Amino acid sequence: MNHALRRLAAAIGFGIGFGCMLAAPLAQAQELKIGALYPFSGGLALLGDESFRGAQLAVEERNAAGGVLGRQITLVKADAVDANQAVGEARRLTSVEGVSAIFGSYASGISSAATQVTELAGVPFFELGAVADTITGRGFKYVFRSNSTAKNFAERSLEAVFKVVGPALKADPKGFKLAIIYEDGPYGTLVAGFQKEEAKRLGLNVVEAQAYSAKSVDLSSLVLRLKGAGADLVLHTAYQNDTVLFFRQSAAAGYKPRAVVGAGGGYSLTDTAQALGTAMEGVYDIDFPQITMNPAGAPGLNEFAAAYRKKYGVAPRSGHSLVNYVGAKAFLEVLARAKSTDKDKIREAVLAYRQPAGSNAAGWGFQFAENGQNVLATTNVMQWQQGKLVTVYPEALATAKAITAN
Amino acid sequence: MSLLLQLLVNGLLLGGAYAIISIGLTLIFGVVRVVNFAHGEFLMIGMYAAWLCAQHLGLHPYLAAPLVALLLFGLGALMQRFIIQPLLAADAHIQIFATVGVSTALLNLALLVFGADLRKADFALGSQNLSLGPITVVSGQLVTFVVAIAVALALHLFLGRTHTGRALRALAQNRNAAALMGVNVQSSYVLAFGIGAGLVGVASGLLAVQYPVFPTVGSYFVLTAFVIVVLGGMGSLPGAVVGSLFIGLIDSLAGFYIGPDFKELVYFVIFLVILVVRPTGLFGLGRGSE
Repeated sequence: MNHALRRLAAAIGFGIGFGCMLAAPLAQAQELKIGALYPFSGGLALLGDESFRGAQLAVEERNAAGGVLGRQITLVKADAVDANQAVGEARRLTSVEGVSAIFGSYASGISSAATQVTELAGVPFFELGAVADTITGRGFKYVFRSNSTAKNFAERSLEAVFKVVGPALKADPKGFKLAIIYEDGPYGTLVAGFQKEEAKRLGLNVVEAQAYSAKSVDLSSLVLRLKGAGADLVLHTAYQNDTVLFFRQSAAAGYKPRAVVGAGGGYSLTDTAQALGTAMEGVYDIDFPQITMNPAGAPGLNEFAAAYRKKYGVAPRSGHSLVNYVGAKAFLEVLARAKSTDKDKIREAVLAYRQPAGSNAAGWGFQFAENGQNVLATTNVMQWQQGKLVTVYPEALATAKAITAN
Repeated sequence: MSLLLQLLVNGLLLGGAYAIISIGLTLIFGVVRVVNFAHGEFLMIGMYAAWLCAQHLGLHPYLAAPLVALLLFGLGALMQRFIIQPLLAADAHIQIFATVGVSTALLNLALLVFGADLRKADFALGSQNLSLGPITVVSGQLVTFVVAIAVALALHLFLGRTHTGRALRALAQNRNAAALMGVNVQSSYVLAFGIGAGLVGVASGLLAVQYPVFPTVGSYFVLTAFVIVVLGGMGSLPGAVVGSLFIGLIDSLAGFYIGPDFKELVYFVIFLVILVVRPTGLFGLGRGSE
């Protein structure tokens, strides 16, 4: 009896094992694995997750339409909290999971580290959200980026001075006394560095260019310097607390520049605006396209917002999901056109891919340079009006006209 | 001239904010001989408490300050009793790890409960500008400064004139000798840690009017507070006050005349020079007291 049972068990075990061996390759042939490397925990988790949602929506949309190369796409999540973990997770995705490509990564530090691994492994990395220019500036062959870079933030901020701020104030931009202030970490230094170059090229009068620590609890001496120099237009690259501090201490010192142009970061966040109240009225901000822009210049925007609401039950929490969605959607189309998961075929397909400007939900187009950077990705000029961030430039995406505060 | 005056005033007022945080830190260090790395997170919790009082009870942070101080007194006393006390006989670095652990836990707890958003209590009292001739100050900064000096004086009197205060000082000088003289070491430690944390509670109420609160707000103030405490002489009350005003002035003057990105550089260089010349700090008790 006992003997018979054991034989039966062995037979069943064998049967299951054999079945699995047969089934596994079949399942693999059906699905196409793509890594999704984002910070899902830790301090960057909120916007990391928001970014991932965009990629997830693009994948689901593609799967519903039949997938890529006749295969359904499976996203393999990888949690990269910081550069160290990004390296470990990129290794896992490329060697253990055997993904065909990777989407990522929201933060520049994470992207820079992960791409070192993927480039060596020969797995294409599609960056959908990190802005440091260096990511596509290292001569890597299989790193491609759909979103705009820090340089674009800087160029847009100066374009805003000529196209938006000057006309709104009815003043000649060359008559402005410009101050460029920034937090002294990689983010502020990168954006402000390009701003300084660009301001010089455009012949603007820069009276102050000052860095400070984002952990500073007092910016009163910086404010007094700007006041002393008579700066009437401020370009500011900052996180949240320093944005609040700058406005409060400017008010305390009686310093009121004619316009302030922020570059993303703390300037884009609603709780900054809430903490500052009316002081934020009329302040400009340069950032990725937001969900609130005019859908006339961004075909598919409303559909994206509806799909997002349907899946997650809330409105998008920031523009990150939108740009990740648009980028992921384009790269999935590239994979389909490559007709292969071979890295060189994919690179060829990326470089050949074209989409005219203003043809997708972010209001961007697609055209990739040799370094893998999409040259048609841009940032928009926005302005805080009555507690809301509205898009004021470019015109095709604008929902409101620029106002002047005071 | 009026600009220089404004810079000096700004510096001294900023020093007032540093002082009220540093006093508690130096007291804990001086008496319990523990470097409390969770001090910044105590400040953060206090500021959240003040913000919650403002949000739900409509209480001005200045009125909430005594409540917050009580809350933090309790938190500090509990930390001493249940985390530091069992480790008193252990190596100093074990105690440091324990306070770092508490700091990390509190920080992440705040992230979990409140999220990373920045919250701000909005009240007119404490945020309006006062003009005295050519000088403009924010009323809240003035209040913070005055309270900081008053609290430092009160603590000084408490330590010098009362029996309990003298017991704390005796403990600071020599734990074993104090125990032999009949001082209850453990309850005195709990009291000292509680008072140190309670002072941060007062600071929280004062600062909540001027600064928004977010989970990492403590680290913005506390690194400087550590510098101040070492600069003034670890455990020295007058040292903490003078050190705070000194750092405040350097912050303001260097930020204007040299550049805002160099102000930390300037005060860390001065800090190094003072440590080389006087290793026990400005008001340190001499060799061996550190």
